[in-house]
Amino acid sequence: MHYFLNGGLLSFDTGFGFWVFVTTLIFLFAMNKWLVPPIMSALKEREERIRDSMETAEKALAQAEEISKNNEKALKEAEVIAQKIRKEAIEDAEKLREERIDKATKDAEKLLENARLKIEQEKKSALKELRNQVAELAVQSASIIIKSELDKKKSQHLVDSFINDLSKNN
Amino acid sequence: MINVVRRALASLIFLMVFSPALLASDADSEQNEAPIDVMGKVTNHDYFEFAGAKLYLPRILYAGGEWYFYGNTYKAIDSGEFVRGEEGAIIRADGQSITLDLSITSHLIYVWLSLIVTFIITFLAGRKYKSGIGRNSEPKGALLNMFEALFVFIRDQIAKEFIPGDKYEKFVPYLYTIFLTITLMNLFGLLPWAAAATANLTVTATLAFITFLVTQLNGSKDHWKHVFVFPGVPKWALIILTPVEILGLFTKPFALAIRLFANMLSGKIMIVCILGLIFVFTELFGAVIGVSSGVFWVLLTVALYFLKALVALIQAYVFTLLSSVFIGMAVEEHHHDHEETSVAKAKDVVIQNH
Repeated sequence: MHYFLNGGLLSFDTGFGFWVFVTTLIFLFAMNKWLVPPIMSALKEREERIRDSMETAEKALAQAEEISKNNEKALKEAEVIAQKIRKEAIEDAEKLREERIDKATKDAEKLLENARLKIEQEKKSALKELRNQVAELAVQSASIIIKSELDKKKSQHLVDSFINDLSKNN
Repeated sequence: MINVVRRALASLIFLMVFSPALLASDADSEQNEAPIDVMGKVTNHDYFEFAGAKLYLPRILYAGGEWYFYGNTYKAIDSGEFVRGEEGAIIRADGQSITLDLSITSHLIYVWLSLIVTFIITFLAGRKYKSGIGRNSEPKGALLNMFEALFVFIRDQIAKEFIPGDKYEKFVPYLYTIFLTITLMNLFGLLPWAAAATANLTVTATLAFITFLVTQLNGSKDHWKHVFVFPGVPKWALIILTPVEILGLFTKPFALAIRLFANMLSGKIMIVCILGLIFVFTELFGAVIGVSSGVFWVLLTVALYFLKALVALIQAYVFTLLSSVFIGMAVEEHHHDHEETSVAKAKDVVIQNH
């Protein structure tokens, strides 16, 4: 076997080193300039997009949570209001009913009163008429008596006293 | 104590494995017919081997002020301009040694292959991203998902983790490229006939040098201040600290290069040596023992292959990670509110260097 190339295992081979150095440098330049940057930028872009969308999602989530919290609050408030309205309605109804009943009672009482008054009046006028008629009847009867007994004066007196007694007894 | 014993045992085993193999390869130069050539499997060659066939690669030589181009080594020798020198290396016919050898070699082919595969992967992924898949939607398909897992891992776990601020974006292409390329080079070493280019010190040193360049060219003012005038220490201490810091600039990439090189080389040598034991045993004890012991060596090799596959990824990761750490340390801008922090930083630097 021959070691065609000069030097042993631990020596630096200048010509070979030159080739390696030059080709690696050119290659590194190409990689640095054209090949790797698109990959770097693509990865960076994607990572940024993912980060952005995660942030947006988080924000949206927070917003949604806030909205739902607000909704809940509104719901609670609405419930409170509804309850209040119901309560008020019941109270109003109660009040109305009471008022109606009151009014009805009062009306009834008034009617009753009116009726009573009227009855009283009627009674009075009836009594008055009755008295007049009685008086007339008495007078007529008296006149009849007088005509028959002539002592008109005495008879009259008797009649009057009778009538007075009548009214007193009444 | 236990560690020392363990290390001694490991060295002994290694030597036992190694010396017959070395002997075998030494015997090769005399007989030209050796049971196995260990070093030949890990060194650079002037041919590209696939499925046992050898494709000889072009030679580009500079010797004595003149350039020579040949289709392969044999053509160079046939032309009469070059002859084989000692140890198989060729020299010019008039005895002038080669000044610069820019020949295409087997390891260079694997470096290029890795770069090409990296290019294809990145190009295809980039086209997908450009078309909107992965940009506007989720990545679709297993391949794109795998690519993205890799890319995002390098970006987030390696670059972003160690390079402060928004500066990391600038270095992601570099870290991604070296990670993928080194991984591919390491994995090519697992293929039969193929070789790991990272098991060549020249490759790892060059890569480490590029990391060194990237680190120093992007060094912040604070980085240089730390090197030359370390803040928070008495002036006389600078006499010691500044040389240490300057040395530190170079030891970091040096460690990077040696670590990757040694890991990849040792794996390959281990496998070749263990498989080579079949031939060594055959020579020593006869064919029956040699072949039947082969069952054991092959099982051991399989286990080592899994380890190597793991090491291939881990070493690429370590190289990239440490590159990122060094770059991060260099680009960082400190705010010297407390002297304590700079001292603590220095301790970190020292720890990381070990």
